[in-house]
Amino acid sequence: MFDLSSRISKIVFGGLLVVIGFYLFFPIYWMITSALKNNAELYQIIPTFFPHEITFSHFWSAIAESRLLVYLGNSLITSGASATINTILAIYAGYSFAKYRYAGRQPIMLFMLSAQMFPFGLLLISLYPVMTSLGLLDTRPGLILSYIVFALPVATYMLYSYFSQVPDELIDAARADGASDLRIFHTIVLPISVPPIVTVFLYSFMWSWNDLLYSLTLIVSEDKRTIGPGLLLTYLNETNADWGGAMAASLLVSLPIVIAFMFLQRYFIQGVTAGAVK
Amino acid sequence: MSRLELKDVRKSFGTTEVLKGIDLTVEDGEFVAFVGPSGCGKSTLLRLICGLDEITAGQMAIDREIVNDVPPAKRGIAMVFQSYALYPHMSVAQNMGYALRLAGTPKAEIEQRVLAAAKVLRIADYLERKPRQLSGGQRQRVAIGRAIVREPRIFLFDEPLSNLDAALRVEMRIEIARMKERLGTTMIYVTHDQIEAMTLADKIVVLNAGRVEQVGSPLELYNAPVNRFVAGFIGSPKMNFLTLGARHGDSYALPGGEIALRAGLEGATTIGVRPEHLEIVEAGRSGTLGGTLTMTEHLGSDTYAYVALPGTEDLLVVRLSGERALKTNQKVGVALDPGMAHVFAADGTMLASARPVALEAA
Repeated sequence: MFDLSSRISKIVFGGLLVVIGFYLFFPIYWMITSALKNNAELYQIIPTFFPHEITFSHFWSAIAESRLLVYLGNSLITSGASATINTILAIYAGYSFAKYRYAGRQPIMLFMLSAQMFPFGLLLISLYPVMTSLGLLDTRPGLILSYIVFALPVATYMLYSYFSQVPDELIDAARADGASDLRIFHTIVLPISVPPIVTVFLYSFMWSWNDLLYSLTLIVSEDKRTIGPGLLLTYLNETNADWGGAMAASLLVSLPIVIAFMFLQRYFIQGVTAGAVK
Repeated sequence: MSRLELKDVRKSFGTTEVLKGIDLTVEDGEFVAFVGPSGCGKSTLLRLICGLDEITAGQMAIDREIVNDVPPAKRGIAMVFQSYALYPHMSVAQNMGYALRLAGTPKAEIEQRVLAAAKVLRIADYLERKPRQLSGGQRQRVAIGRAIVREPRIFLFDEPLSNLDAALRVEMRIEIARMKERLGTTMIYVTHDQIEAMTLADKIVVLNAGRVEQVGSPLELYNAPVNRFVAGFIGSPKMNFLTLGARHGDSYALPGGEIALRAGLEGATTIGVRPEHLEIVEAGRSGTLGGTLTMTEHLGSDTYAYVALPGTEDLLVVRLSGERALKTNQKVGVALDPGMAHVFAADGTMLASARPVALEAA
């Protein structure tokens, strides 16, 4: 039989891990080395694997670029707001789908999920005139709303599957103890659901933080621009392509997310595997 | 005084009727056990009494007050769930005090009542722990404690011991029996474990397919079941059933022999004999059933012998006291005292019950 501890399988799996690791981490490695190379080395026809001479000039100029801070702030506002609203909506919608029986429950759920079946670029075509007629084009609420449109179905579904696993007896016990439905939800179900809720918040946050297309299309004003399009338009435009600067700036703006993940990953992992082992 | 009265209580889920008209009275301070096969509606009935589900039709009253539409907490009922259903994020003390907190009881009184209940249940040392830090038996005590602190009029137990291992189950069974003595509160107990029902209950309610088959004291059900279902359900190992064959006067042909029943039992089709009322004798003795001993089980205090009779598929179970060395796969005779046979009609109703030996002697 297939023996995972045998020498051959160790070599095979080790090799596979190296390939996967290379595939995942090479872009990050390239980002770091490119940010550290000087322009002459950066644009050599045959690229170097290690920078011959390390320079921090790209980082200094990125820090000096005041617009980056504005973009970062905008991203935090739009991502934070959309993730918060999205999580709150998903909590109540998911619980209702999971624990209450009413007419139209399943059709509504399917209808919500069907929004996921369209490529999100395609929906932008219909979202654009809607935003225009609502006067929400080039506004933060408009962008926040359009992020919610996309993250809400999956967020709801994630919490729906979690809440479905909350034992009915627990809810019955609280009801027998005299708690109202909302009370049960707020004092019993919510406190034991922190890991999946954090997971859903992070998921929604990443969705909008990583977005380029929507922000690029729906936001025109410089002062409302988020970090994705901001980086693109600052460093890579029709007239010049400052790869070193783009890489250094990308690394800098990734830091907040990386740090947040380091603190919240415990919840994230718990949330993703919730239900796997009881 | 807490008397529970059910009048023609029915419950349907969609088009399927789960409870088909239950009439039942539970007297003040009585310990009643609901027993029945899976799906008979015993847990559903308990949920209706608790108020977790609504009654489809009929009437339910506690102390003459109709409680059909009264929410659970207002009924003065506390329920202990099968899975304990402890709130995992709350400490033992918080779990036990949750209902009181919701009812707006002063904090000092909550603490005092929780501590008093915890002492009785010997969990006072664990009040600050979370449920996950407790053993199965301790969790069960917390679940019972949560019910006790509310000082309810009626306790409901939904198979409370089924998640415990055998040794702990016996221990908790004794604990519940003592609690019943001490509190004297009306208790309703759902179980599929006959020993729990027989030992704890003052009154057993046998349910089958949404109907009450029989209500009575444990020994009443054992000695005088009203029909074949109750006869087969109560008792372990099960009662043996034998189909009566051709009749000559008061004598009937049986698989492997013949039996004479008392006169005047018209319409008898089946007899039932409990395993302890049969005896293994040598093959060929007159007035016995001839069969083949296929298997024996030694339990120490008892020996169960399984005998195959000609023309039937079910093995006859004979309970012999003590250790009996018997050779299997040999012809044996099974002695049967006709006086110990329960006689049933074709529709399963009892025509004549056995005369229990103990009662006869007394």
